[in-house]
Amino acid sequence: MNRREFLSQVGGAAAAVAALPYAASAFGPGKPAEGKSRVVVIRHDALAEESLDARRVRELLDEAAKALAPEAKAADTWARWLKPSDRVGVKVNCLGLATRPETAGALADALGSAGVAPEHITLWDRSDRELRAAGYALRASGPGVRCYGTDSLSSRGPGGYGGEIATSGEIGSLYSRIVTDETTALVSAPVLKDHNLAGLTCALKNFYGAIHNPNKYHGNGCDPFIADVVAHPHIRSRLRLAICDATRPQCHGGPPSRPRWQWAYGGILLAADPVALDRVGMEILDRRRAAVGLKSFADEGRPVRYLASAQARGLGTADLAQIEVVSIGKLWTDVA
Amino acid sequence: MKNETDGTRREFLRALAAGACGACALGLAGGGARGQDDAPQPQVAVHDAMWFERLPDKAVRCTLCPRECVVADVERGYCGVRENRGGDYKTLVYGNLCSTNVDPIEKKPLFHYLPGTVALSVATAGCNMECKFCQNWEISQFRPEQVPSVLVPPENLVRAAQARGIQTIAYTYSEPVVFYEYMHDTAAAGRAAGVGSVMISNGYINEPAIRKLCEHLTAVKVDLKAFTEKFYEDACAGRLAPVLGTLEVLADIGIHTEVVVLLVPTLNDSAAEVGRMTKWLVKALGPDVPVHFSRFHPTYRMKNLPPTPMETLERARKVALDAGLHYVYLGNVPFHEAESTYCPSCAKTVIGRVGYRVEATGLKDGACASCGMKIPGVWSQEQAMAFKPQAKPAGS
Repeated sequence: MNRREFLSQVGGAAAAVAALPYAASAFGPGKPAEGKSRVVVIRHDALAEESLDARRVRELLDEAAKALAPEAKAADTWARWLKPSDRVGVKVNCLGLATRPETAGALADALGSAGVAPEHITLWDRSDRELRAAGYALRASGPGVRCYGTDSLSSRGPGGYGGEIATSGEIGSLYSRIVTDETTALVSAPVLKDHNLAGLTCALKNFYGAIHNPNKYHGNGCDPFIADVVAHPHIRSRLRLAICDATRPQCHGGPPSRPRWQWAYGGILLAADPVALDRVGMEILDRRRAAVGLKSFADEGRPVRYLASAQARGLGTADLAQIEVVSIGKLWTDVA
Repeated sequence: MKNETDGTRREFLRALAAGACGACALGLAGGGARGQDDAPQPQVAVHDAMWFERLPDKAVRCTLCPRECVVADVERGYCGVRENRGGDYKTLVYGNLCSTNVDPIEKKPLFHYLPGTVALSVATAGCNMECKFCQNWEISQFRPEQVPSVLVPPENLVRAAQARGIQTIAYTYSEPVVFYEYMHDTAAAGRAAGVGSVMISNGYINEPAIRKLCEHLTAVKVDLKAFTEKFYEDACAGRLAPVLGTLEVLADIGIHTEVVVLLVPTLNDSAAEVGRMTKWLVKALGPDVPVHFSRFHPTYRMKNLPPTPMETLERARKVALDAGLHYVYLGNVPFHEAESTYCPSCAKTVIGRVGYRVEATGLKDGACASCGMKIPGVWSQEQAMAFKPQAKPAGS
């Protein structure tokens, strides 16, 4: 299969898959590297375009990954987090403003460079309908990267969720069969956007799409529920990376897509610590809100509460002073 | 759907959706998603919601229940069955029935409402609480697209009841408040056709909505989960005060109301709490409101507690009777003497019950056959259909 075929299955363009040797993973939620959690923010004009060049996105992803794990050999970068035998679920966010298929496709291509077979990489969200509406091309079988919704597994449980009720802190939910049955590793691939209740929806809240009853957990700014969903071993034991589409983030009016509040930030955020990534994402949105005359999340009465709970559960760090932000290209704090 | 075999259920649902009921060809309209084997399939059934306010940025505030969820565009409320679509609020479960059975009215339980009759009992997915002991969590805690269902328009359901000679439709199993619009329209159609409607509910509903609904209902059963806010918050993700408010509104409306209290060991079963609760009930609804103390069984997210001991149930009954309540029953304990109705005046058996076997030989024209004391309740279909909500006092 060539790169074009590979990416075309997920709505993107092209990039060949290189098989790389597996290197043991040392990253993961709750394991910040050497005291500080690192978040890479890569920005480039190519990421600010209306139409993305998947080849260029893939190159920038590689550059960001290298910055996240500088100790790894260039060829082994992605193998830092994945091994060839992994079955990888890439959780995109298709509710309202969606993770762009080109970004997700380039990401799937990059993950393949860890030696994971394309057929063992699945782009997924709650439903086929939502994926399709966001521009993803569905593929449940055959060669290449898979792309389908949890609801396509309805034969295995109600709506594709199943097993026993899984409890974690305050939540009690069935998890997606994609998570429990079909993956050994997860990558959170959200889009950076405002959320009317949680303040922010990013790498952590993205996993509300992994449970059957997210509607039950939107009180109190979704806190501590977001942290509890991710803290369950179904997610926590699998989550390797968070890679956020910040090409055109939205600082207000989310989660639906509101072009008025989107801007060409032209960035992608990458971290092994999803809490740190969300904290940086919040900072970007808050700075943009200030730049366009909006109150901060906190001043507007919807502080991003779940970050502290996530840190308390050992999922990562929410303290900006304990986060090393590696900025590639335009400075990450420049939100004009 | 509960309590019927798959085969029976499928046949029944299929008949309802297709417009026939049992052996009776009724020629009704309807439809619903089906699989290759003609089994019900998950689906949504979109219909305008009745209770909401529009907010800036295409958000809405749901005003149906005390949660008053603020719902952004593309999002759903807590119940999971109401969705904001571009600033318009929609129910996704209008006629989208996942459960349909013919049950004894005593199973609801309603003991002072047409005893010995049956109710065509229906539910959709969804609930506006999350009780950790929910017996029906497999439908109440799911979204409509996750639960097999069929579409049954209100008029089909009413005709199905009529065709079977069923006097009552019960909205039950999950939480009918979340399928309000369907219940409202079906109850209205039923009333026009001489079929009563009873709501089996947690009472978590705002006053304007329940007052509007009671224009068409003929009885209500409310689950009073406990008498502390802590229990409601911890075990039900709800609040007590609005439920008490609903009970007061129902009393004000004058609709026949019964109350069920599930006694959960160590959490809401103390004599002190039962005492406070039952004294409040006497004061707010009067001594004649039937109250059922029901036995807890471990399930869903509360499997760490044992079933309610019999002595706890019997103690609660005694406390309630001492508080002044006249009709106190025990539920989920078949063959117990507290299943039957006794005359508060002469103590004779008015309605004998053994499980779902009912003998109302001690009841004559709504009164004790022995001493003539009037027994509160709805004892005939004519009486049920004659109900009209009491007018709210001017200025209130």
